[in-house]
Amino acid sequence: MDVLQGLTEVFRMVFEDDSIELTRAMTADDYDGWDSMSHVTLLMAVEDHFGVTFEDWEVMNLPDVGALADLVQKKL
Amino acid sequence: MPDMNIASHCTRLQCQAGRAEKIALRWVDADFQPTDYTFADLERESNRCANAFAGLGFGKGTRFFIYLPAQPEVYFAFLGILKLQAIAGMLFSNFGKQAVQDRLADAGAQVLITKQGLLRRIRDILPELPVLQTILVTDLEEDEDQRIRSYPKLLAGQSTAFTVEPTAPETPSVLHYTSGSTGKPKGVLHIHGGLPHQQMTVREILQLAEDDIYWCTADHGWVTGTTYGITAPWSLGHTMVHFGGNFNTENWFRLLQEQRITVWYTAPTALRMLMREEDKIKGQFDLSALKRMYSVGEPLNPEIIQWVRRTLDKDIYDTWFQTETGGHMIVNRPGMPVRPGSMGKPVRGTAAAVAVDGVIAEQPETVGALWLRKGWDSMFVEYLNMPDAYRSKFHGDWYDTGDLAKIDSDGYFWFIGRNDDVINPSGHLVGPFEVESALLEMPEIVDVAVIGAPDPLLYEKIVAYITLKEGAVWDRKLELRCRIHITNRISPIAVPGEYIVRDRLPKNRSGKIMRRVLKAEYLGQDVGDISTLED
Repeated sequence: MDVLQGLTEVFRMVFEDDSIELTRAMTADDYDGWDSMSHVTLLMAVEDHFGVTFEDWEVMNLPDVGALADLVQKKL
Repeated sequence: MPDMNIASHCTRLQCQAGRAEKIALRWVDADFQPTDYTFADLERESNRCANAFAGLGFGKGTRFFIYLPAQPEVYFAFLGILKLQAIAGMLFSNFGKQAVQDRLADAGAQVLITKQGLLRRIRDILPELPVLQTILVTDLEEDEDQRIRSYPKLLAGQSTAFTVEPTAPETPSVLHYTSGSTGKPKGVLHIHGGLPHQQMTVREILQLAEDDIYWCTADHGWVTGTTYGITAPWSLGHTMVHFGGNFNTENWFRLLQEQRITVWYTAPTALRMLMREEDKIKGQFDLSALKRMYSVGEPLNPEIIQWVRRTLDKDIYDTWFQTETGGHMIVNRPGMPVRPGSMGKPVRGTAAAVAVDGVIAEQPETVGALWLRKGWDSMFVEYLNMPDAYRSKFHGDWYDTGDLAKIDSDGYFWFIGRNDDVINPSGHLVGPFEVESALLEMPEIVDVAVIGAPDPLLYEKIVAYITLKEGAVWDRKLELRCRIHITNRISPIAVPGEYIVRDRLPKNRSGKIMRRVLKAEYLGQDVGDISTLED
């Protein structure tokens, strides 16, 4: 499974924005609307999409999309 | 007539006072690259904006809105709008399309300043906003059409000289929207003449000194972000840091350390998030420049005060005010003994009282409505288009804050809660009506009531009681769809943290949902008088 592609689909769904093209280096600072408040919903959608579960401590300080992709990959 | 123009006080008058080359704004982007702007820069950049706006035919009374995350253009445009004696409406950049539409439509906004990433969110509501003539986009190189214009192109070549017309104190200045128990958010209009009160509180409460480096973390979409993140400190010549990165424990402390922040104004929820990651910060950062901290937005619980003292070795002072008050009203401050958990005492020139059934209580410890004697400079002058709602906030000479409080025998005020249904997650007021309306747009939901409930991190969380259409099933997927819908429709702040499915919701005989019954049930309290309950 291409995790980055899957994450792109999730981001597009959560932010209702089909123009999103994720890169591993992308951070919350690079996309308007991705912040600590929307992060919970985003993670919930990621869990649903990939059928994984995150612990709070695992996702508290993910630095970028690449780290999130690696975390998902590890759990698949 | 003395010129009361707020922007002139923030720019030209500072230059005339010898601060032309003093740093007004240190902008630190998300990659920690700093850019300095002096007061002379502020004067020039805001003049360019004012000239550009005037060149489009806009002027006194035009209703502008700024829908941007923190970036230098926000401050320049804001000051340019005020120089023109136009009205600066401020929007939180996380608002979704319905929230933006409601505010722009109610205000009759004529100009919107935004960026492409946010314009994307609201393109499909633009046909619903016929009065909105011009949209200036900060990262658009060429005009899209007559309506959607390139802001950089507009600013290019504009003169940096602009003469501000003498501004009367009663001239409208800033417009913020705030939530109430019923209906859509109300536009709270302020005037240029509010500045003296705000300045007094910077001198006496924040006690900023000439060489202080001050950081207010509040977004400019909220009143704290404009009053204490733009106007009041700059109008007194103080240096402010603004940060373009998101909340992140290490980033915030890195900023405090690298920029040698001396006075830091933030919010309890942010501090509680920092407390959870104490290991990452304790002893890791040099905060020797930091002299003291202030808090706003929610009650500052004693645990935070103790944590700040123990972990950061600093004092922190809680401040209380509202969008409607425009500036501090009841505060703690250096030089006054702090009673942890108390709101503190009224600022100079402010009379505050507690009233029960419309009568001011004389006995200490009486819990009642928190009233303020009207007449302070920065008091709002109207709820836009809602004169009856404005009048209803006053009882004779007193303004009813909508908060409940008590006063102890030494004159300290103690916050008890809201006297209405407004919810306060992380210091941002959310009206139940907006959330309920958004949830009712979900095809599976037929009835909904939203309440606030205590939360250890957010202060309050939003709890949604819902009734589902026959055959509909509540599951995680539906919850996720609800969360996404509210995020994009209103704001992630308005997303309920808990959903409770009920076969039916308690209503009175007029069909109005009785939120107080649900709240009492949720909190395990006596539900009180239910004689008007349907069946």
